[in-house]
Amino acid sequence: MKKSLIVAMLSTAVALPAHADIRINGFANLVGGVTGSEESLYGYDDTFNFSEESLFALQASGSINERMSATVQILARGADDYSPNFEWAYVSYRMTNRATFSAGRFRLPLFKYSDSLDIGYSHHWVSVPQAVYDVPFNNIDGFRLDYSDFVGDWEIKLGGAVGAFENEVSGGVITGDNTYMVNAELSNDWFSVRAVYGGTEATFSQAQLDAVVGQIGQANAGFADFLAIDEDTANFVGVGFNIDRFSWFLSGEYTNIEIADSYTPTDEAMFVTAGFRAGKWTPSLTYSVFEGDEVKGVEELAALGQPLEAALTPAVLGINAQFAQNYQVATATIRYDYAANFAVKLEFSQYTDDLVEARDASLARFAINYVF
Amino acid sequence: MKRIIGTFIFGALFSSQVFAGYAVVVHPENTSEIDYQLVKRIFLGKETAFSNGEVATVLTHSPDSALRVEFDEAVLQRRTAAVDAYWSKLVFTGRGTMPKTVSSDQEMIELILQNKNAIGFIDTSSVNSDVKVVKID
Repeated sequence: MKKSLIVAMLSTAVALPAHADIRINGFANLVGGVTGSEESLYGYDDTFNFSEESLFALQASGSINERMSATVQILARGADDYSPNFEWAYVSYRMTNRATFSAGRFRLPLFKYSDSLDIGYSHHWVSVPQAVYDVPFNNIDGFRLDYSDFVGDWEIKLGGAVGAFENEVSGGVITGDNTYMVNAELSNDWFSVRAVYGGTEATFSQAQLDAVVGQIGQANAGFADFLAIDEDTANFVGVGFNIDRFSWFLSGEYTNIEIADSYTPTDEAMFVTAGFRAGKWTPSLTYSVFEGDEVKGVEELAALGQPLEAALTPAVLGINAQFAQNYQVATATIRYDYAANFAVKLEFSQYTDDLVEARDASLARFAINYVF
Repeated sequence: MKRIIGTFIFGALFSSQVFAGYAVVVHPENTSEIDYQLVKRIFLGKETAFSNGEVATVLTHSPDSALRVEFDEAVLQRRTAAVDAYWSKLVFTGRGTMPKTVSSDQEMIELILQNKNAIGFIDTSSVNSDVKVVKID
């Protein structure tokens, strides 16, 4: 990725003229949770925890001129011991009143709530459905183009992004080079549909897995190459809809992530959520499903014949077991708008695992969301 | 007769609450075409400019003012808290600048006088020749 170019653009942005109009905004989520006894879920266990999902953020935006602005968002997550991190840092250039070009580090608009998933105040959950949203490539360094227009009562939004990402996940590091995505959204006053397609060249490295794949490679290099996630093509498909009649709403999203030549199963995730707004109260129900337990590599291994098949099957099944996940989450949430820019929420989730019953868990969380 | 007068008075009171008195206002020199849909889109950050291409400066009242609550529900068809939540999303995604909040019609009129591209709303009783009322029905 052309990181040097981005750095150059950002440093121009930092050199804002003295008269620049700088806006400071911020948001905070104080989230606490506890699971049922001897259970764990999303980093919570049966002792009350305040730090797993709490976060504080400050955002500064400055207008460089009529068409150009720079935005920096510094976010401190409880899970990282509140050490501040530059979550976003980008420069936007408004090419026309309909099209904006951005460069820097920004949120990849993969999902309907991508842009605002950290801003608890902007949605009705304590946390956006993790089955769908918990992916290690929410932020990328690169370029983004957004376009919007109206046709009659309909608003059309089109977007595209290119860039690269690197993130820690599952005790390893995943990188995505030559990442690209395109998205389209059609909406009117109360209804919207959106679709996303993206791809990347993914590489995943984790000590234990790398060692196992390395051993397999000594037996058959081609098969090890199939298993490893080493500059392999990964594809992302997402669709979503949203109906919002203000007194009630219904929305859902479906995503599919596949790295064909690898040990990871294709992950399918979806959620449906519905709720209504009665004065200051917004009660809602959400149901999420995650399916990712397809067994990979067994057919490819069988094609290699004996004795390789017998020798390597345990290792292949072992790797598969590490990634296999198949579960559902049922969630009930209530949001109360206590004051302008200040909301309080209570959420109960029941997690049911189809593969390992011992992972079943119930989780109670509360949140205080504030924006300024 | 008494009952008719009573109904009349009650009706007048009731209607003054429903069709209350907000007026969408812009600078007198703003000659671009503005209709209900554009006002709604501008106040929701979906549209950023007037038909003449000039970027709009959006002005609103504080969330605890009755006029604001009424405008949000009648024009934007959302509760004020929902409007604020909606804007917070735009602000934190770099797609909009939070409308500037004023504390009185007086202040709104002064700001509009200073800025040819400002748009706001005031109580109909505050309308004077310093601002131009936009018809949005």
